[in-house]
Amino acid sequence: MFAFDGGYNPGQVSHTVLLELRHTIERHPAIQHASGEPPGQFIRVVAILNPAILGSEADEGTLTVRWYAGETADANPEFAFHYSDSSDFDCGWHHEPNPHVDGWAHYQERPAATDEYEYEAISFSSLQPVPLLWEILDRLEGRLSD
Amino acid sequence: MTDSSGAKRWKERQSAFDRVRSVAVTISEPKSADWIAEQAHVAGNTARDHLQRLVEMNVLRTVVGENATQYAPDPLYTRMQALRNLLDNRDRDDLLELRGDLQEQVEEWQTEYDADSPDDLREQAAHADTAEKTREMRRTANDWDIIAYRLQLVEDAIEHYSDYAGSTPAPA
Repeated sequence: MFAFDGGYNPGQVSHTVLLELRHTIERHPAIQHASGEPPGQFIRVVAILNPAILGSEADEGTLTVRWYAGETADANPEFAFHYSDSSDFDCGWHHEPNPHVDGWAHYQERPAATDEYEYEAISFSSLQPVPLLWEILDRLEGRLSD
Repeated sequence: MTDSSGAKRWKERQSAFDRVRSVAVTISEPKSADWIAEQAHVAGNTARDHLQRLVEMNVLRTVVGENATQYAPDPLYTRMQALRNLLDNRDRDDLLELRGDLQEQVEEWQTEYDADSPDDLREQAAHADTAEKTREMRRTANDWDIIAYRLQLVEDAIEHYSDYAGSTPAPA
């Protein structure tokens, strides 16, 4: 046992989360490959997926994940899980300061890159990165197979 | 509690041990076995068994809690995993090049925002002209925190390259 000294480093925790997300996301059947981007920097996880498995007709899809664990150990994380595909559709589940909804948690979507986003306030059942990843992949499947 | 369909998929694809591990290594603060069990969708006793094993493997450490034993990632394990990621498919020259890239990125932000550190940039973000600018600066500060940590790791990997890579450096 040791006394926790509170040596919190947001860069370390965020980076650890990104490494773990890259590792676990590849267990999902729709994901073909995931990597830390930009190469060497590893401030995002970019996953290439097969949209057909999630019920979409697009040929290629990408899920980009940003994660920041918060300035202090007890702060809420800031994150975005953003999907886009070769049909030009994109949508994302975000948790960060924004001018569009009350609170941080929101869903945003646009049918094409030339359209404006529509925003909707939402809630997540967990703010822990790995459970959240699986929840969001499930919501994505629900949206794409709509 | 019935599992959501996302949790069901997760349980199909990752074992209880892996779920406990992936929740426990990504927490910011020490947590109890019951808290980790709920997040990982496993029974309390199952979580306790797996957590104990992870402590024995030096993946986690136990922490003196107010009521129950709490668990936190072992900082040495966290660092080793990050170093392993850096050293995979990179030789010493690649690491030197990466250090240059990361330093360049930091210098770019220092110049662009006239800020010394991510905290300094956050301080400035609070006084930015528009809310949009504030958000952009805060997001950069977040990336900067990650890059600064990554830079520390790269320095470590370069300094101890032959120990970590298990080979002697090629003659210059």
